[in-house]
Amino acid sequence: MSYTTEIQATARDLLSSDQVSCVIGYEVGPRGRTRPAFIYTADDADRLVWNQNCTHNLTTYLHQKLRPNGYTSAPAETERVAIVVKACDSRAINVLVAESQINREQVHVIGVACDGVFEGAGLGRSDGATLQHRCTECGERTPVTYDTLIGEPQAVDTLDSEHDLAHLEAMTPAERAEFWLSQFDRCIRCYACRQACPMCSCPTCLYERDDSQWIGMGNGLNEKRTFHLGRAYHLAGRCIGCDECERVCPVDIPIGLLNRKLAGEVEAAFGYRAGLEPIPSPLTTILSGKEG
Amino acid sequence: MTYEPRIIGFLCTWCSYTGADLAGTARLQSAWNLRSIRVPCSGRVSPELIMKAFDQGADGVLVLGCHIGECHYDNGNHRTAKRLPVLHSLMEFAGLEPERLRLGWVSASEGERFARIVNEFTDVVRELGPCSWQQNGHRPQAVRAILESEV
Ligand code: SF4
Ligand code: SF4
Ligand code: FES
Repeated sequence: MSYTTEIQATARDLLSSDQVSCVIGYEVGPRGRTRPAFIYTADDADRLVWNQNCTHNLTTYLHQKLRPNGYTSAPAETERVAIVVKACDSRAINVLVAESQINREQVHVIGVACDGVFEGAGLGRSDGATLQHRCTECGERTPVTYDTLIGEPQAVDTLDSEHDLAHLEAMTPAERAEFWLSQFDRCIRCYACRQACPMCSCPTCLYERDDSQWIGMGNGLNEKRTFHLGRAYHLAGRCIGCDECERVCPVDIPIGLLNRKLAGEVEAAFGYRAGLEPIPSPLTTILSGKEG
Repeated sequence: MTYEPRIIGFLCTWCSYTGADLAGTARLQSAWNLRSIRVPCSGRVSPELIMKAFDQGADGVLVLGCHIGECHYDNGNHRTAKRLPVLHSLMEFAGLEPERLRLGWVSASEGERFARIVNEFTDVVRELGPCSWQQNGHRPQAVRAILESEV
């Protein structure tokens, strides 16, 4: 059975037995682009697909599905959804559980042992050959948490991931400042990066408040830099490295560099990588390691 | 006129701020470059506050809190102790000289230690010269200098 038929069969089963109200997966749209799909009935399960253009991190939709009334109320305990995840996306499930954003029982995780997704996927310009950066670095390929596994567990060799950071780290501070300012200069503050991120789950984003006296929403370079560095910092120890923020950026800001830098710092300081287990990031706990 | 750095100090009200008072009443010399901002706990000092200080022209930022185990909110400074190094490496990665940001612990009875830390830090920052972090909608001075020197 292909992954696609396996996913369809699982979805049909879950929906017809009323175990879940919705299956979040992928479909191919009329223009041939693979895109997220919400399936509510067993009959619609045929729409679901699996291919190497399934780039989106669907876990970012879990809030909307499990907290339909927003954050003012507790999650709707009765709601239960299924979701298709890749290995990287599955780490987001663990972080969301660790941060009490979702209840693990309310999610049926359909994990896919994936072969990586292609560059340009989601934009309709996938060349069908080049793997995304995150996939060349990924040694897992098998989800860290799942209820149904599609495919066989597998492990692959990873490429050296340090090269792009080392290049920047070798620069002088002034050169690095120049590099980043020329990047941040392009930001149009569309917040696409934030919207795509499953960890960016604050009901009111600190960087999108027009009543703030000290963090501007403007397009000044200062404000854009504060937004980017602040966002990266808020994700330190939480970012699972799906690189979706970078993919969705309309002006190609290499946000992933900041995320990888901080993930490396947190790993060096605490020996912790986000999402491998459903435990909170040590950056958010007290020194003994307990949540306080 | 010789260059004098502008230094912003975020001082925890329960310890370092009182330590600063003590340094004052004991007539200890500490650098006048420090502009103190009183915060309820070092855990209050969010990254945005630090970046804002640099944005507005600080040449150095000093964060002082209670010694570990003495925080009045039990573990506020645990968080500071974990977070500041991460912020530090992030800002360094974004082009700030790492010496411009420092975290220290000073209790209410350590007036002398307060004065020593402030003086040392001010000397280090004075040595570094003006900070290029501040933006007025244009490229920073240091970057301009590099670009100009290449012409
Ligand atoms: S997606 Fe890109 S342009 Fe939009 S806010 Fe994020 S970094 Fe800026
Ligand atoms: S910050 Fe970017 S790479 Fe990290 S989890 Fe969010 S979307 Fe994924
Ligand atoms: S009360 Fe001083 S650091 Fe928390």
